[in-house]
Amino acid sequence: MARAATTTDATEAVPDTGTDAYTDADPAAAGPGRRGRGRALRPGPLAALLTAALLVALTAAVSLGSVDIPPGEVWSVVGRRLTGQHPAPGTRDLIVWQLRVPRALLAAAVGAGLGLVGTAVQALVRNPLADPYLLGISSGASLGAVGVIVLGTGMGLSLTVGGIAGLTVSVAAFLGALAAFSLVWLLARRGGGFSPLRLVLAGIGIGQFLTGLTSYLVLQTGDEQQTRGVLFWLMGSLSGATWGQLAVPAAAVVLGLVLLQGRARGLNAMLMGDETAAGLGVDVVRLRREIFAVTSVLTGVLVAVSGAIGFVGLMVPHVCRLLVGGDHRRLLPLSALTGAVLLVVVDLIARVALDGQEVPIGVVTALLGAPTLLYLLDRRLERN
Amino acid sequence: MRIAVEDLSVSLAGRTVVAGVHLVAKEGEIAGLVGPNGSGKSSLLRTVYRHLRPSAGRVLLAGRELSELSPAQSARHIGALPQERGGDFELTVREVVAMGRTPYKRAFAKDDAEDHRLVAEALTRVGMAHAPDRGFAQLSGGERQRVLLARALAQQPDVLVLDEPTNHLDVRHQVELLALLREQRRTTLVALHDLNAAASVCDRLHVLHRGTLVASGEPREVLTAELLAEVFGVRAAVIEHPLTGDPLIAFDHRAPVGAPDPGVPGPVAPPSGRGAGGAAGTRAGVIAPPPVVPVTEVTGVTVPAGLPAPASVERQEVS
Repeated sequence: MARAATTTDATEAVPDTGTDAYTDADPAAAGPGRRGRGRALRPGPLAALLTAALLVALTAAVSLGSVDIPPGEVWSVVGRRLTGQHPAPGTRDLIVWQLRVPRALLAAAVGAGLGLVGTAVQALVRNPLADPYLLGISSGASLGAVGVIVLGTGMGLSLTVGGIAGLTVSVAAFLGALAAFSLVWLLARRGGGFSPLRLVLAGIGIGQFLTGLTSYLVLQTGDEQQTRGVLFWLMGSLSGATWGQLAVPAAAVVLGLVLLQGRARGLNAMLMGDETAAGLGVDVVRLRREIFAVTSVLTGVLVAVSGAIGFVGLMVPHVCRLLVGGDHRRLLPLSALTGAVLLVVVDLIARVALDGQEVPIGVVTALLGAPTLLYLLDRRLERN
Repeated sequence: MRIAVEDLSVSLAGRTVVAGVHLVAKEGEIAGLVGPNGSGKSSLLRTVYRHLRPSAGRVLLAGRELSELSPAQSARHIGALPQERGGDFELTVREVVAMGRTPYKRAFAKDDAEDHRLVAEALTRVGMAHAPDRGFAQLSGGERQRVLLARALAQQPDVLVLDEPTNHLDVRHQVELLALLREQRRTTLVALHDLNAAASVCDRLHVLHRGTLVASGEPREVLTAELLAEVFGVRAAVIEHPLTGDPLIAFDHRAPVGAPDPGVPGPVAPPSGRGAGGAAGTRAGVIAPPPVVPVTEVTGVTVPAGLPAPASVERQEVS
């Protein structure tokens, strides 16, 4: 009783950090001889830390590249733009403001979105090994994009990324994502279900089918240059990011965060099982539909601008759960922040790792992500 | 609060799993649901905590039809402990219990001091106040069930609905959990596999068999050797518990009803008539397996033909 009272007092004494403060617990409460959770970080300070890390990562991403620009100069160029002064003279403004800043910001937006979607999808199908692409959405997007690239070139469209054709590819990718989403939805809802298993099986089935079609299309093109372009897109890439491309994904991520955050308690309840959630007054089928719709549209938008960047959506939720635990009210915003930091850094590595050649971002995330995933799995097995 | 199940039917994928069940759990009463596997206990409970929708009939909470309430509204009155055990998602004990506050919270609402107090209180009530920060997935089975009960208590329910709460628990933890239930003095609807536990914990028992209610009443009236033979297909004697005076069912674990007659070579010859159990055994022995229970409808209560309807089987009050 005394312990409970102490904990409550401590909780009330903690200033409002924007997230629930009750993780701030008496470490001794874990009990003698028992392994506590060992969560050293509270959500508030952690969020501040990650925000600082994001600023540093963004600065580094704009500063480093084929031409290195000192951080001070980066900020002065950005400052001139933000305060409406004349742009900095010479190529500095072009490199910083036109090329690197939009790309770094796009990386942040896509990373945040992938972290967010990954967390929500793992709760949606109640499987911590799910990722945003599990439900077949990215396969639809790939088919749409590759279809336009392969067939469109035949109709005389050039493949200049970032230009009109780039936009067409994005739109086609998004339409493909929506088509995949509709198919999975129709399959999953049969029998009134929307059970995790139905969703996963429908997603995998549709995904495999669409991937098959995509592979067929890729094989149809004899043009080596084109095949390279297609593969680059399939592996994910943020090259050719423009200010114009930024608005839609950024808005989608913010909207997605708000919609998911408002359903955070429902997501928590769903982790325990559908019956538990129903017993807690959660309309499970409706919630699952909503989450599926939000995550699918968001995934579609992300894949449309960046291709299918793997592992981020799988890894980020795990890392965040280790840091702040499984409560979605904290987990969702922190997953978004962590995803943003991660993808900015990964994209920087992808740009500068090889001289004069860019590594597809999916290659970097896979090379970093696979070992991380194996480590996490190992940890899980060890603990249980 | 009183909960009444009226003429309830449930269909799963076109198959009727509960058919026309009437039962009542009165204010402060522990009503037990017993029956063999697949008899419809869980399905019935699921309609009460609104995981399933009835295909016919209704559930009344203090006279109000459940379907008229929003899911959150009914969850403020009915706290459920389903059989699910939850996956490993790094949730702490406190976080799991705090989920009990879900039906009271709007989107974006944070936990306030009242929520923290209720969570702490619920943890104290189940004897888990020492471990609010332990990982839920790392708990033992008994601790887990206690935490899940605390979650249901944090819901401040008037009615508790529990589906096999003692499953996978060792005897001591079973006793602790059931004692906790009795302490609560809340209207409780509980499905139990362990008939002896049901006999000592429940005020009334409702026996389900193939989706229909075959008997209702006080444990000692309902749990007869005849019923155990016909519904559960086991030979058993019902005697008095030497310590508590509750009915105690002594099962014959060696041979089911309809096992080889004495004389036919078998591992062990069943004992011949000795007391009430022996008589039941002899009687049960002539019933061919699987037991077919023809039922007759008697004013809302279905009683299998051939079973002596206990004199005090409750005439269901249909309002």
